[in-house]
Amino acid sequence: MSLLRVEGLGIHFGGVQAIEDLDFTIEAGTIHSIIGPNGAGKTTLFNLITGVYRPSAGTILLDDTPIAGRKPHDLARMGLSRTFQNLRIMMNMSALDNVMVGRHLHLNRNLLACLLRLPPVTRGDRAARKLCTELMDLVGLSAYRDADAGSLPYGALKRLEIARALAAEPRLLLLDEPAAGLNAQETREIDEVIVKVARSGVTVVLVEHDMKLVMGLSDHILVLDHGRTLAEGTPEAVRNNPAVVAAYLGTV
Amino acid sequence: MATIKPSGYSKHRKKQTYTRRLGTRATPMQMLFSERVGGMGALILVIACLPLLLSNNYQYDVAITMGINAIVVVGLNLLVGYAGQVSLGHAGFFALGAYASAILTTRYGLHGALALPAGALGVGVLAYLIARPILRLSGHYLAMATLGVGVIIHIVLDREAWLTGGPDGMYVPTIEVAGVPLYGGAIWYWIVAAVLILTVWLALNLIDSPIGRALRGLHGAEVAAEVAGVDTTHYKVMVFVISAVLASVAGSLSAHFSEFVTPDSASFFHSILFVTMVVFGGMASTFGALIGAALLTLLPQLLADFSGYEQMILGLIMMLVMIVMPRGLLPTLVGLARRRQREARS
Repeated sequence: MSLLRVEGLGIHFGGVQAIEDLDFTIEAGTIHSIIGPNGAGKTTLFNLITGVYRPSAGTILLDDTPIAGRKPHDLARMGLSRTFQNLRIMMNMSALDNVMVGRHLHLNRNLLACLLRLPPVTRGDRAARKLCTELMDLVGLSAYRDADAGSLPYGALKRLEIARALAAEPRLLLLDEPAAGLNAQETREIDEVIVKVARSGVTVVLVEHDMKLVMGLSDHILVLDHGRTLAEGTPEAVRNNPAVVAAYLGTV
Repeated sequence: MATIKPSGYSKHRKKQTYTRRLGTRATPMQMLFSERVGGMGALILVIACLPLLLSNNYQYDVAITMGINAIVVVGLNLLVGYAGQVSLGHAGFFALGAYASAILTTRYGLHGALALPAGALGVGVLAYLIARPILRLSGHYLAMATLGVGVIIHIVLDREAWLTGGPDGMYVPTIEVAGVPLYGGAIWYWIVAAVLILTVWLALNLIDSPIGRALRGLHGAEVAAEVAGVDTTHYKVMVFVISAVLASVAGSLSAHFSEFVTPDSASFFHSILFVTMVVFGGMASTFGALIGAALLTLLPQLLADFSGYEQMILGLIMMLVMIVMPRGLLPTLVGLARRRQREARS
């Protein structure tokens, strides 16, 4: 059984058909990449899957449960987590607190318990702080444990997004261009993190322009162009697909 | 778990100072400077010592008004400062609390100690009903909607004279507890002080909890908080209700203390004053809110000698503070002290 199944998915903004009649499945435990030229609809697809947008047509099934149109926080409860291409960092908080927000669903959120600071709250917070620190170490942010999020450089913020997404312990992690704007060294480090995350049993969906990263990591690649599937298959198959080459390099 | 060592970060690493070993308890020294221990201790000390400086009824009046305003402002700061949702109508909830106490005690013979929670409950329900639709809005639109709420409450209190006494306001009888009338500054000082300390404690607890992080998180990046599992609408409504209830409690205290209520307590100017106290003292800082409430209650009294010009001087002081310290008094001063400390160390 596939973890995520998308059938006949479509959305339009006014007259623009951003995604049209899209079908694909994502198997549990794989790294699945979505590539395509700018404006192909990759981020829109992410926004549809994570409930930020409501599709105009089609269904999205997570474990055979329809999730199209559900709110993002509901989907988080079902094990969906994501990062953002344009960073969505809480600049008013410390780096660690950003990761702790990702832990939200695993903590005691009873109003009375929080107001009175009952032991379950403090105990949970202490354990979460420890776990989130470890996550920051995992993504390579040990140097910024106590730092304010606003004081972190761009590359570190990219990692912080990943740490926050991981704190929720997702089953399905969607990474929107995690390597964009990073240098070769930093990209390699992100690569290592993604592999480590995937090995721990999390299914990863990756939107990325760095072909070296995509080709090296992915079990399966979906190529989008103008909101439609252009090609699909293993990295090998996609690389040799003439339609993909044409979309990226243009036809002669 | 293996750690990835990022390249080129070593020079930052040396600069980084760990204020707290993570996953452990704080040391006594760290606790002394924390908000919950050090801050609360300082607050209680100030409240305990202040009566030594108060020699007459007028001074008690000012001190009690400070405390009542502080209760509202600490609550409002949860909404405006931490969760980032503006309200220009909180004087409405303050006045509703005051009128609930006044009406329930005079017209229905309820005891003041019961009228206060009854009013708070009613205001809480009303705030919930209002919050569901209007907290879909944000920024200027939310400000407009809450302003509307405040204005409507003001008009209703002003016009429904059969119930509220109209523009003349109404008297509130003295509360008696076990035959002892609660009358005069000395008694009310301690009542308000106790409620204020409780309020500050609850606010500090809330902010340093998963709910508090959810509130700060939805302020900082709403979509990201939502995706992390934070039901942002739910938390916005929750904090709106909490702040409205605190305003209502403060209103009830004010009604029983001054034994008189007027519709002016719901005025737009009063709402603005509360928000100004939050911004002046420092957004997203509970002790900043306390300082803001204290200073902006005290300043007009101190400036009373400049008859006719006091509002103008007050406005000038506020403008200057906001230009020099845009983050508000306390956060700016704390930031300054931290930088000094860091420079001294290096």
